[in-house]
Amino acid sequence: MKKKLTVLAIALILTLPFTFLDILPSIGDVNSAPNKHVSAYYIENAISECNSPNMVTAVIVDYRAFDTLLETTVMFLAGAVVLLVLARKPSIKNRIVIPKSKRMHKDKSGNPIYKTVNKDVMITVIQPLILVYAVYVLFHGEVSLGGGFQAGALIAMAYILDVLVIPDKKSVFVLPKKNSVALAGLGPFIYTLTGIICLIGGGMFLEYAKLPFPVHTAELHSIGILAVEVGVTIGVAATIITILNAIMERVTFDDDNY
Amino acid sequence: MMTTINAFLAYKGIYFLTFLLLALGLSGIIVCKNYMKKLICMNVMQVAVIFFFLCLGQKDGGTIPVAVEGLSAAADYINPLPHGLMLTAIVVSLGTTGVGLALLLRIKEKYGSIEEDKIIKREKKF
Amino acid sequence: MQILLVEAVLLLILIGITLSIIFGKDLMTAVITYCGFSFITMFLYIVMGAPDVAFTEAVIGVISTIYFIMMLRSIDRRCK
Repeated sequence: MKKKLTVLAIALILTLPFTFLDILPSIGDVNSAPNKHVSAYYIENAISECNSPNMVTAVIVDYRAFDTLLETTVMFLAGAVVLLVLARKPSIKNRIVIPKSKRMHKDKSGNPIYKTVNKDVMITVIQPLILVYAVYVLFHGEVSLGGGFQAGALIAMAYILDVLVIPDKKSVFVLPKKNSVALAGLGPFIYTLTGIICLIGGGMFLEYAKLPFPVHTAELHSIGILAVEVGVTIGVAATIITILNAIMERVTFDDDNY
Repeated sequence: MMTTINAFLAYKGIYFLTFLLLALGLSGIIVCKNYMKKLICMNVMQVAVIFFFLCLGQKDGGTIPVAVEGLSAAADYINPLPHGLMLTAIVVSLGTTGVGLALLLRIKEKYGSIEEDKIIKREKKF
Repeated sequence: MQILLVEAVLLLILIGITLSIIFGKDLMTAVITYCGFSFITMFLYIVMGAPDVAFTEAVIGVISTIYFIMMLRSIDRRCK
């Protein structure tokens, strides 16, 4: 009873003042403050300057490319921190081990089912389709919906399907922990390399119009966007695989032997 | 009748429900004693914040921000700037959840359980 | 392009799912309900007119649920 009253009290105290203040704009207003200043410029000049009909991709990879560089670095750091936290086990005298008689009854209903009928046929059909779709989403990120983040998560999903459903057979691509975190570091490296090549060509950092390739300006933007998104894809996919491997190794303990 | 309901929702109703979801997520973190439920309620708060940002970029009569042949004015498309920021936020929240679960594994190995009152009782032994 | 009544109904469903997660007594139920929560937020983002965000949320919701279910192998399912 105390729990329900606490939840109700916090919910009401935090939401009631907002119904009596008038500072938020009404939804759907064309002249509200977020819709006026710089977004109008982004919408009107996305095709002519960046050569991409998808305005969201033009915003995150061309106009605001620096933010996406730091976001890819944050993903790599998350993978590295998970490996550092799960590096060692505490020794016996620093741990509280519950004796076997007092331990709660351990539920065995979370174990995977090993012997399904269709694992050898459906996995060899589903996995190549997911990988082909991931490559399609990566390359068409600027014409229709898609981009680097979605493609990276789809590649990681193909790996997860392989590892979780067939645990005792060798998987399609094997990535132990230190290899996958090194691959996650390759993502921001490719991103920064594109920016440095723009510096060599004579422009500012990440200014795609000054890449030193002998093609038109519109195609230079396309090449820059594609190189940057490949970096984002590799970073996101390798981080997800790192976190999965690190958690999966440590999830059963050897406390059952005591 | 439908237009008055629509006008009330556009003015205040949707914001009220969004803040209610945020406050429920926050009270879930405070009240629940199990650490795994606190992580799930953290993701609930994240969804409320993202929805609030997407609300601010709406326009009456606009379409999705992919360019079509005939329309080229700024009032024909929804604001694409919050969409870009929220894409980044969703992917970073996945990394945060992963780090939180790694810390949870270490707590379970050291103290033997993940309920808050048992951990406070057993910490006195160290 | 928004349909405000549909958004209000979906938000009410989300609030109901949150209440069932807070007051439940089984961790496995909470994790599977979290997968349903992620699915309904994907619908909400589509109705708001943000298909990029909906695509990303669909993929990342599944991966987050897989992390939670993997943790349940070593954590007891009952909770107060």
